[in-house]
Amino acid sequence: MEKKGVTRRQFLKYAGATAALLGLSESLIPQIAQALEELSSGKPPVLWIQGQNCTGCSVSFLNTNYPMAAEIVLDKLSVRYHPTVMAAAGDKAFGVLEETAKELAGKYVLVVEGPVPTAEGGEYCTFGLEKETVSFNGYQRRKDKPMTAWMEELVPGAAAVVALGNCASFGGIPAANASVTGTKAVQEIVKEIAKDKPVINIGGCPAHPDWFVGTVLDYLINKRVPELDRHNRPKMFFGKLIHENCERRAAFDAGLFLEDWNDDNPDMKLCLFKLGCKGPVTYADCPTRRWNSGVNWCVGANAPCHGCAEPSFYKDLSPLYEPLPEVHFAGLTPMVDTLGWIGAAATAVGIGAHYLYKQLGKKEPEGGES
Amino acid sequence: MAQLISIDPVTRIEGHLRIDVEVENGVVKDAWSSGTMFRGIEMLLKGKHPFDAQQVTERICGVCPLVHGTAASYNLDDALGVELPDNARIIRNLCLGANFIQSHILHFYHLAALDYVDVTAVAKYTGNDPALAALRDKIAALAKAGDVYPFLPRYESDDYVSDPELAAILVNHYVQALEMRKKAQEMLSIFYGRMPSFVGTVPGGVTVHPTVSNIAAFRARLNELRVWIDNVYIQDILTVAGVSAYAPFLTAGDSGGNYLAYGGFDQDSKGAEKFLPRGFITGNNVAAVGELDEDKITESVKYSWYKDEGDWLHPREGMTEPDVHKEGAYSFLKAPRYDGKPMEVGPMARMLVLAGLELSGKRKEKKLMPLIEKLGLASAVDACVQAGKFGILPRHAMRALECKLLADEMDKWLDELKPGEKIWDKKDIPGEAYGRGMVEGPRGALGHWIHIKNKVIDNYQCIVPTTWNAAPRDKNGNRGPIETALIGLPVPDPENPINVVRCVRSFDPCLACAIHVIHPEHNGVKEFRVV
Ligand code: SF4
Ligand code: SF4
Repeated sequence: MEKKGVTRRQFLKYAGATAALLGLSESLIPQIAQALEELSSGKPPVLWIQGQNCTGCSVSFLNTNYPMAAEIVLDKLSVRYHPTVMAAAGDKAFGVLEETAKELAGKYVLVVEGPVPTAEGGEYCTFGLEKETVSFNGYQRRKDKPMTAWMEELVPGAAAVVALGNCASFGGIPAANASVTGTKAVQEIVKEIAKDKPVINIGGCPAHPDWFVGTVLDYLINKRVPELDRHNRPKMFFGKLIHENCERRAAFDAGLFLEDWNDDNPDMKLCLFKLGCKGPVTYADCPTRRWNSGVNWCVGANAPCHGCAEPSFYKDLSPLYEPLPEVHFAGLTPMVDTLGWIGAAATAVGIGAHYLYKQLGKKEPEGGES
Repeated sequence: MAQLISIDPVTRIEGHLRIDVEVENGVVKDAWSSGTMFRGIEMLLKGKHPFDAQQVTERICGVCPLVHGTAASYNLDDALGVELPDNARIIRNLCLGANFIQSHILHFYHLAALDYVDVTAVAKYTGNDPALAALRDKIAALAKAGDVYPFLPRYESDDYVSDPELAAILVNHYVQALEMRKKAQEMLSIFYGRMPSFVGTVPGGVTVHPTVSNIAAFRARLNELRVWIDNVYIQDILTVAGVSAYAPFLTAGDSGGNYLAYGGFDQDSKGAEKFLPRGFITGNNVAAVGELDEDKITESVKYSWYKDEGDWLHPREGMTEPDVHKEGAYSFLKAPRYDGKPMEVGPMARMLVLAGLELSGKRKEKKLMPLIEKLGLASAVDACVQAGKFGILPRHAMRALECKLLADEMDKWLDELKPGEKIWDKKDIPGEAYGRGMVEGPRGALGHWIHIKNKVIDNYQCIVPTTWNAAPRDKNGNRGPIETALIGLPVPDPENPINVVRCVRSFDPCLACAIHVIHPEHNGVKEFRVV
């Protein structure tokens, strides 16, 4: 390692940052350093493909800090295919997918960004070319290859599949048109192709870079899929309600709510519940992790959490700027104003979410221990 | 003999794009641009609370969520009759500007540069700059391990920048640029909560008050970026443009001479004065900038996978019914036209409109032309004007010039923020109203239109920049701007059509943006409008 210009000290510092990212104890730093060291020598191959996506998760990935994007792409992983960054185009590009699937079967990690449309033989999302041809302006041109065909080719040989972002994990916005495009979440497709293939869902619209990088590092260090909740999301990132750790929780408990964005209350930031905050029903660690190098997060910007990490986002969480419906707690019928009082009285915050979901008439998502 | 070359996927862009070119005697004779992915976003909004539009339309594109959210905000402001407070107008401008900076840097270094620079040449670096030597060692180690992904494979070409010193500097900047664009994202996060998919605008204003500390945090990053843009980005553009092998790209890759800009960055509450002006140019006649008539926008679907009934309609009464089996169609993109003509949108369109207004004296305060002079680009611009052609290199250069103009101006906007004053104009949602929001995104002119009925969204539609640029042919057989730009480019080796992707990428296409409609019948929607 010294040969590569990295000192032991730097490396330990780096392992420390990784431990912090994963929320692990500092006592594990030597083990992490060792695992990272091993990693740098044999880099796991990654194929990163895109379906009905918006590339938001890739852009979000570029915002990673520990390690930096360039380090991950060059030193930690062998990113063989990623349509937004790779040099190759056309057959030079998709050829890499075909070769890797053959040569490294069982070894590569398949990252899928965006869900998979299945209607019309997969015509709603294609990339790369099939062997067969079609006629086109007087020529024979090779046919477009549907995303569904790529899934069939790449899933069986994947060591693990990572569904990155809410739409890959749960269908997200494109799945709201499932009646037209037949859009399915990645895990549904994988189930049809290789029943026991592990799929890790990393929610978020987009996914936080730490959620992705941390999951991949954890997988590489421990050589097993991390502990998942019942939506197959890593518990280390999606185990707690936003509302539980929110910096405005005291305002919520005191019944102090923001209703006009012109109200500036620097002493006690007002709770955003009345402006539609979905923090009470959303499992993610945004309040403590924050976004963009820790600069800010949604509630920090005086805006409600929209619940973008939940399987129910967007459709079942609309209207986004209206408060969650009136809640009824154990025989009481309090208005939102008194909800803070109830919240304060409830011993476990999870109970609040449980009731909210009941009242919404929706299935409880249960990110972690509620 | 002529031959067809299909490039699919065109990588290092956003989304799913296939390009087919017919090549004869080593030159592109004809070209077809096809969008190959279809989602459906506007129609989700039918029946929804109008405020949801920003959060949903942001998800059209992860590279440009900010622009959609901003267009949606202006669209709603218009429908609700909002009087936007100055603080909100300025914060929106600052954040839009920060997004231009991150997007332009990302485009040049991470999406385009690998078409011009030979990464493998870095391994031969012999100088003693420690950063470059470290980079050399890294690349050499990767090459030795036989794993230079994702830089290889690639299209081979004998005109890559292969001087080890120069290549090392440029690749080092590629890595630096990752950090720089990340800083620009942090700037957005300061006022807007997070990126991508921000939360800080709402109809009527913004959610965060300007304070001494958030202004300072924003300015600190802006200053750092301004230094880097001046000393690195602009210089690298000049360097690449100065490589003699690339001289033909000054005029090669011209899109046909028509340019359209909606204008952006309102300087007053009415939006009468804009930092980037609106207007259009035809036939490369830069000195004659026309005044935009929004009614002249129509869309053709003759060659798109939509039923023909929707052909040649103004977006207001447009319709879209997918027909994936339609004979002769080859794209999920429609073909927007202005006054019947295809139009290039984006930095080149904006800068040429600005140049035209400065040259004709219609714009008093001159900013662009003096910058062009100062950087020694005047003769190159003259050469383009003489030839009546603006090609691949000007497209990259104009993007960088725009980035600098904006970054410098943003510093002044920061001074105009007034902590403690209003940031929101609260308005009730009307029973029925129409609205429109027309802004500029990094990739060009973006329009959102809304019809509110019974206090919910009845109809929502967007026409996005890439639909203009990557459009297929229209009912009159006119090619889209990218299709036209490809014709005449040299492709000496059909196995390595590098010039084709160089040209396409100079437009910075973003396909997720361009295809976002859905089938009306299955959703029980009678009438709706489009892409
Ligand atoms: S409702 Fe939202 S803003 Fe209020 S305390 Fe909970 S998470 Fe925070
Ligand atoms: S706070 Fe809520 S909306 Fe914001 S990123 Fe976290 S889960 Fe998504």
